[in-house]
Amino acid sequence: MVLGLRNFSQRTGDGVGLPVLDTANGEELMHVQSNVSIVLGNNPAPDSPGTLYISTKKMVWLSDVDKEKGYAVDFLSISLHATSRDPETFPSPCIYAQIETEAGEDDESEGSDSEGNETMDLSKITDMRLVPSDPNVLDALFDFFCECAELNPEPNEEQEEEHNWITSADQLDGSMMTEGELEWQISEDPAIPIGYTNGNHDVAHSMLELQIDDQRFDDADEMERETHSGHQ
Amino acid sequence: MLFFSYFKDLVGREVTVELKNDLAIRGTLHSVDQYLNIKLENTRVVDQDKYPHMLSVRNCFIRGSVVRYVQLPPEGVDTDLLHDATRREARGG
Repeated sequence: MVLGLRNFSQRTGDGVGLPVLDTANGEELMHVQSNVSIVLGNNPAPDSPGTLYISTKKMVWLSDVDKEKGYAVDFLSISLHATSRDPETFPSPCIYAQIETEAGEDDESEGSDSEGNETMDLSKITDMRLVPSDPNVLDALFDFFCECAELNPEPNEEQEEEHNWITSADQLDGSMMTEGELEWQISEDPAIPIGYTNGNHDVAHSMLELQIDDQRFDDADEMERETHSGHQ
Repeated sequence: MLFFSYFKDLVGREVTVELKNDLAIRGTLHSVDQYLNIKLENTRVVDQDKYPHMLSVRNCFIRGSVVRYVQLPPEGVDTDLLHDATRREARGG
């Protein structure tokens, strides 16, 4: 999967219609909102007006003026979205979204470097604003974003979490773990390991020790407090 | 889905959600789903100087997979209950 924002200009009907969706894989159009401008990163001025398409997989914005111009971002890459209505921070009410990029830790400076530059590196854009001409649709748009985010949970979490304790547990002895346990371990947020130190069998126990060591390594103070308060 | 149930009990309380990109947002927990996606209301960014673009945000939806920590109100944490529940779940029951 490619994280981040990308150019998108595939339209149906000789390039003038709806964005091309991956219908073969079940992608469906959820909502269309006309008269929406888009603001990428720290660019001061919104792009020319366009149309926002929300599908079950991604958000697509297509320019109304330049048929070659458009952007798309998968819901998997949208870390956070919000409604923004305070004119002091941004002049128009809008949907604000944070985009997860491949680099991950790119900060503001990257965005301002590319300011005013035609060849803006879309893969480094971490913020986006969608500005509908009618501010009354903000809440509805927000809800569509929520609904679609929920339709797109992380795929293949096992693979994505390679560097944490789950893999070590598998390496210990995968056969000792039942299907249920495996699933449960993966779905847990490893940030809160309270109460797991009472595992019955040895494999579970050594796995737990691994987990706890990792946690304390990360953030000794907080974890000490949280784990110990439940176990004394 | 222990933590899903647990967070559901915290709806309406003040929490601070810290994202993996270090952004920390404080707000009232509005709802949480099975993927631990979190909706906050009456939000404010903890470090406003560092994230001025978030100043105008009053409610937000945070993808569960980008959450690093959720700081809970101490009075919302029943450690005995959690202790028992996690032990039960660890035993598969």
